[in-house]
Amino acid sequence: MHETSLVRSLLKQVGALLDAHLGESVETIRVEIGALAGIDRTLFELAFLDLVGESRCRGAVLLIHEVPISGTCLYCGRDIIIEGFRFVCPVCHSTHIQITGGEDVRLLDVDISSPDPSSCESC
Amino acid sequence: MSDSSMSISRPPTPPRVSPVEMSQTRNVSVNHDIRAELKQQAEEMRLLFQRRGTLIVNIVSSPGAGKTSLLEATAKHWQGTRRMAVLVGDIATDRDAKRLAPYCPVEQLTTGGACHLEMPLVQRGIDKLGQDDLEFLFIENVGNLVCPASHDLAEHLRVVLLSVTEGEDKPGKYPKMFRTSHALVISKTDLLPHVPFSVDSAITDARLVNPELQPLTVCSLTGEGVADWCRFLEQRLEQLRQSVAWTDETNRSPNKVRES
Repeated sequence: MHETSLVRSLLKQVGALLDAHLGESVETIRVEIGALAGIDRTLFELAFLDLVGESRCRGAVLLIHEVPISGTCLYCGRDIIIEGFRFVCPVCHSTHIQITGGEDVRLLDVDISSPDPSSCESC
Repeated sequence: MSDSSMSISRPPTPPRVSPVEMSQTRNVSVNHDIRAELKQQAEEMRLLFQRRGTLIVNIVSSPGAGKTSLLEATAKHWQGTRRMAVLVGDIATDRDAKRLAPYCPVEQLTTGGACHLEMPLVQRGIDKLGQDDLEFLFIENVGNLVCPASHDLAEHLRVVLLSVTEGEDKPGKYPKMFRTSHALVISKTDLLPHVPFSVDSAITDARLVNPELQPLTVCSLTGEGVADWCRFLEQRLEQLRQSVAWTDETNRSPNKVRES
């Protein structure tokens, strides 16, 4: 359910980027979803398909990169990847772990199409 | 002849260029958290209430775990000696708000179908409450162990309730909720003789997900454990106020702190 409100927010942010860069249309939107972001990828994609047509980003393609939960073990100091939501260091088995990645949904980059300045006589 | 004269009078046609050739594609790098704006709003609110000396407590659980009952028991225990107010999140009704209204100021937040509370709704509730000298502001979230985990509501303390009838395996099944909470309150402990629930197993399971989780047990109906729960909240409030005092002291006399 909250995937829908996130996608709406994403489309608004990309729309603002389109304005800021004086673009015409958005071709690609690249998003990173962390395993601890609390987001279901399929629901996110479905919400995108539902909403993109009515937004300024009409025609844009969504590319999703899934990233695992990463952290630093506060006991042995190693950088680790957390699998299966078991917050245990695979090396020293400590449970004291600082999460360093995989908690967010991030807008990575967008491909914006704009009129070619060389084809514009007034420029 | 007519053909040639026509061709002369025809305005010069512009070269046909496809839209692709006329435009250029630029890659704009962003790398920005989509929820950054809401997180920032929550952070500012948290700091404001810290300065006011109000502890914001976000109470989360599945439906029927006993959030409202715990708040009723809390208010009854303090008997008006502590200034508390509650923002009650519900999908459709104001039943919980009505239950709490006899004890303390309450503001209803109706989500109209949404499965969790978000910062703008909480902000509206705080404005409507209009209380700026509270010691405790409780936010009773919508009953749901999934979505509320992803939404920072400016709380200083997130408390997850787990009733003994739900089963001890919930922390592993809903890891994000237990990972992001500060305290675990195991509720309805009067039913322990009747259900296959091990308090120790539940705490062990929860600590695999979050070793810092502070466990407590309560029965709101009999009052067992309520005094400990209230003492825990009072300690957290004290810590919050000390951290403000410490910050003020540091800002006033930086040299003194540097020496020590």
